[in-house]
Amino acid sequence: MIRKRPNAGPLKYVLLVAFLIPCWAWAAQTTASPKQMHEDAEGFRDFSEGVLKYVKVHNSVEARLRQVKRADAPENIDAHQRELASGIRAARSRARRGDVFTSDASEAIRHVILSVFQGTQAGAARATIQQGEPLRHRVRRVNGTYVDTAPYTTVPPTLLMSLPPLPDILAYRIVGRDLVLLDVTANLVVDFLPQAIP
Amino acid sequence: MKRRVLTFLILVTLLVPAGMGISLGPPLKLAPAGMGDQLKLPVESNSVRFMVIGDMGNGKARQYDLAKRMDEARQTFPFTFAITLGDNLYGDTAPEDFQKKFEIPYKPLLDAGVKFYASLGNHDSPNQRSYELFNMNGANYYTYKQGDIRFFALDSTYLDPKQLAWLETELRNAGSDWKICYFHHPLYSSARYHGPSTDLRLLLEPLFIKYGVNVVFSGHEHVYERIKPQHGIYYFTEGASGELRKGDLQVTAIQAKGFDADNTFMLIEIAGDQMYFEVISRAGQSVDSGMIQRQVPSRTNSSANQPPQKAR
Repeated sequence: MIRKRPNAGPLKYVLLVAFLIPCWAWAAQTTASPKQMHEDAEGFRDFSEGVLKYVKVHNSVEARLRQVKRADAPENIDAHQRELASGIRAARSRARRGDVFTSDASEAIRHVILSVFQGTQAGAARATIQQGEPLRHRVRRVNGTYVDTAPYTTVPPTLLMSLPPLPDILAYRIVGRDLVLLDVTANLVVDFLPQAIP
Repeated sequence: MKRRVLTFLILVTLLVPAGMGISLGPPLKLAPAGMGDQLKLPVESNSVRFMVIGDMGNGKARQYDLAKRMDEARQTFPFTFAITLGDNLYGDTAPEDFQKKFEIPYKPLLDAGVKFYASLGNHDSPNQRSYELFNMNGANYYTYKQGDIRFFALDSTYLDPKQLAWLETELRNAGSDWKICYFHHPLYSSARYHGPSTDLRLLLEPLFIKYGVNVVFSGHEHVYERIKPQHGIYYFTEGASGELRKGDLQVTAIQAKGFDADNTFMLIEIAGDQMYFEVISRAGQSVDSGMIQRQVPSRTNSSANQPPQKAR
């Protein structure tokens, strides 16, 4: 007697799709098209140029001020921060959102952020933001001050591993869902990317 | 018959306690009990003694009350320096806030020459790195040595690749010293409000294991907690030195001891390969104490807390 093999029928298609979906998801997060990679490279170049331009402004203003010592009194630290912020605002009075996070730079950085928040460490990254006392309010303006009394949301280290590196005077901060580029010495918002964090 | 019973009793007496002890790291011995109000720390000559505080800078009565306990403790346990685990100042940070939230409460300690080596929390402006009394020397993260103990103060609010690379280099160069890391966000936590920083753990724990870090102190959770050794490393949370979240601690499988009913600070004494610790509450009670035995690392094994490996 010949025994027929059971007909897998629709089951094999279900299994195939169940296998392909995670593959597509993994491919989407890890494989950018050559066109996208080229565009992102230009975006990162834009970003680096914007950062360098800002650092020059910061350094030229700071060179005119009394320097803060490595171990100094609070009144000197406070005065330095205020004078530095004031001088930088005057030197870049026409600064607008998008001066550093240009259109291309924004696109590239959003791709990076998406890859982290859709990747294998996404849960840990989200948990870091939630645990770090996430701020509800949004950043309102370039050249504004980061509110003294507000805590910093912890920037997920897995995100920092992927974002373009910054010079010591600058740091990425997360406020609500905005990614902020902050001058930490002047406590001044250099630029920000709204709704960047998914 | 009597001999058999006696043999049985001897075997039970020897084997049952050994069978019940499961050690994931060096043995933790408790100091003798029943010492009343006296500290349980040995105060040996040539030991390194310091205090640990975290999340303290709110300028409120609780912070001031606890600071008085610190000075009282220093009379019988003369520690020479303190480490802070971040959130050194809450709220406004005008120059007068440095006085109200740090210089005034800890004045007796500062006047006695106690040096504070601070780390930054998520409520701290990075510009605190330049504050002379935090001894950070203008750096968000730094390392220093006291006796044969190498301390690494990290900035866990902003752990970027540069800081990680620096840490790995410094850990590698620390040799066989005691290695103590401290930073704001705990890698392990049984508290409800924040919970463990798993993202940080992914990056830091492998380094800690690889280079034989012995002890990690963190704050952020406004409680005290001692965690059971994880891969041979002892973790403490001390985030209740000014702030407090009563009832926030859960009892979990990783917890060795927890206390969230009052503010606390820690006293640490390291003598040779022993680290003694005691946790004092605002009411002056000792809420936890013990001793950690550090294993002397072998030449081929850079991780000081792993059990001895078999020869090949």
